[in-house]
Amino acid sequence: MVMLENKKRVFWEALLLTVVVFLLGLLIGISFESGKVDLIKEYYSASEASIMDIFASGNLVDLNKMSCSDLNEANFVFADRIYTEAKLLEKYEDAGKITQSMITEHKKYDLLRTLLWINEMKTVEKCGRNYHTVIYLYEYQQDDLAKKATQTVWSKVLSDLKEQEGSNVLLVPIAVDNDLVSLSSLIKDYNITAYPALIIDDKTIVKELSSVDDFETYFNQV
Amino acid sequence: MVETLTVIYLVYSFIAFYSLFLFALIYIQNKKLIFYCPKPDRDYSLSMVIPCYNGEEGIGGTIQGVVDAGYKNLKKIVVVDDCSTDNSYKIMKEYEKKYPGLVQVVQTPKNTGKAAGAKNYGAKFVDTELIGFTDDDSFIEEGSIDKMVGFFNEEKVGSVTSSVLVHNRNNFIEKLQSIEYKVIKFSRKLLEFIDSIYVTPGPLGIFRKSAFDKIGGFDENNLTEDIEITWHLQAEGYKVKMAVPARSYSVAPSTISAWVKQRNRWNIGGLQTIGKYKKDWFRKGMLGNFILPFFVSSWVIGLFGLGVLVYRFGTGLITNFLSAKYSVEAQTAVLRFSDINLTPNVLVFLGIIAFFFSLWFTIVALMNMSEDKNRKRENLFTVGFYMIFYLLAYPIILIISGYKFLRGQRKW
Repeated sequence: MVMLENKKRVFWEALLLTVVVFLLGLLIGISFESGKVDLIKEYYSASEASIMDIFASGNLVDLNKMSCSDLNEANFVFADRIYTEAKLLEKYEDAGKITQSMITEHKKYDLLRTLLWINEMKTVEKCGRNYHTVIYLYEYQQDDLAKKATQTVWSKVLSDLKEQEGSNVLLVPIAVDNDLVSLSSLIKDYNITAYPALIIDDKTIVKELSSVDDFETYFNQV
Repeated sequence: MVETLTVIYLVYSFIAFYSLFLFALIYIQNKKLIFYCPKPDRDYSLSMVIPCYNGEEGIGGTIQGVVDAGYKNLKKIVVVDDCSTDNSYKIMKEYEKKYPGLVQVVQTPKNTGKAAGAKNYGAKFVDTELIGFTDDDSFIEEGSIDKMVGFFNEEKVGSVTSSVLVHNRNNFIEKLQSIEYKVIKFSRKLLEFIDSIYVTPGPLGIFRKSAFDKIGGFDENNLTEDIEITWHLQAEGYKVKMAVPARSYSVAPSTISAWVKQRNRWNIGGLQTIGKYKKDWFRKGMLGNFILPFFVSSWVIGLFGLGVLVYRFGTGLITNFLSAKYSVEAQTAVLRFSDINLTPNVLVFLGIIAFFFSLWFTIVALMNMSEDKNRKRENLFTVGFYMIFYLLAYPIILIISGYKFLRGQRKW
């Protein structure tokens, strides 16, 4: 009987050990993921301050206390900055398996990019257009493998385009399925029914995958 | 919400950790007893039965091995010819002449088609306290039987199994099986400490004759009669022990097709056994409380895991293929360094820990299995290949076996 009890005990001991190690592993994992969320939050706070600064700069342009070129430059710097941060966010999102905080951060970044788009429209209104704006609209929660692959390639092409064109292109990628009322209202006017899609210079809609050369040809024509 | 796949991975990690910790704790708590073999309190009389069907290459060596094993109270070696069509019978007869009174050659009235039939037939000629069995392609190491019989001092012990090792270790698949046999043998000994040995393998097993007769010998309809008889003994309340220092060497399949065929037989036999004892779930001691659930769950987990792996690999492959295709169309790089995401996640972290724990277990198993120094040893590459790829083949074979089982295939 004592022997049997001893034999049973090892099953409970193994269970206890497993629970301890597993919980420890989960805790380490959660704190590891939380650390990354905190880092993204820090970046976001800084970016949030920057967009406020750009809004303020826009007002200064209205008051003729700041030049359009300075405002454009600020827009570019900000766009490039949140583009880099979004790339980092994407990598962290792929690695974030337990906590879902990254999804909320993504939504906040999409809102920030929507604000940038709105500000860019206002800037063009005030100062005219001397660069190209490329708004890349995609779906964040995409299960269709073909669409997923298309979006991956779109991102790569646009990244190449940005690299090649530099300050001639203001690239703003925004996920459309994040339930942002402002974004939905903004897109409604363009009558886009399928994603991914591009809005170039607030007037041309591109739905088919194109090469960097195609874009350059287009830019040269307009 | 956490993704379904993440939940599946976490559940798998938990099960993997539990199994590893269970075996690790059993090992740590019983480390000193692994090589223990009790001294027999009397000279148990023993007869050995060797079933043979077209085994002309090995039968002579097997008979000689049993004689050379040197057990003093070995009364008889019954060599059963299952109507071989080669020279087996002739060779057996030569040994009968060589060892008169010790070797007895008998022939089944007609081919039984399974080892169990020949074994049961041979058992009819045995009237000793113990009955042992070995295959016609197995070689018993000297002194092995002596190390096994002492376990029968305990009245409830119905059978004693030995360490089965691979005899031929020349090509890669044989070397992989050599590692596998050692890990299985180590795990089997650990299972003994929780009364859960689930097989008395054919190369060398000894049974208490009264227990063997009580359960009616081997099930002749089962493809893995050595698993079935062990479960039967457990169901009847007998204990099964293992003498680690007792070694027998078996010829392992040398080609992939022969290996697949052997594994199919093992799996189909396993499925037959599960079907036969399904009524004993959570009954009959460790049989229903551990062996049966352990057997079934390891198969279910393996199959489901393979399904998840195929799904992940398949979707990844399709996405990457489409992505490459579209990249070519869009004249952009197919793969860039920046596309590689090296950010670790908690699942990878848990997976790495589980892998290294398994590696530790495999190494401990290999280190704990001393054997003839002239035998070839495994290198690190073979061990790594065994852990990553060989084990992955288990559920694939199981699918084939399951299909054959459902189609009613029960051939040896």
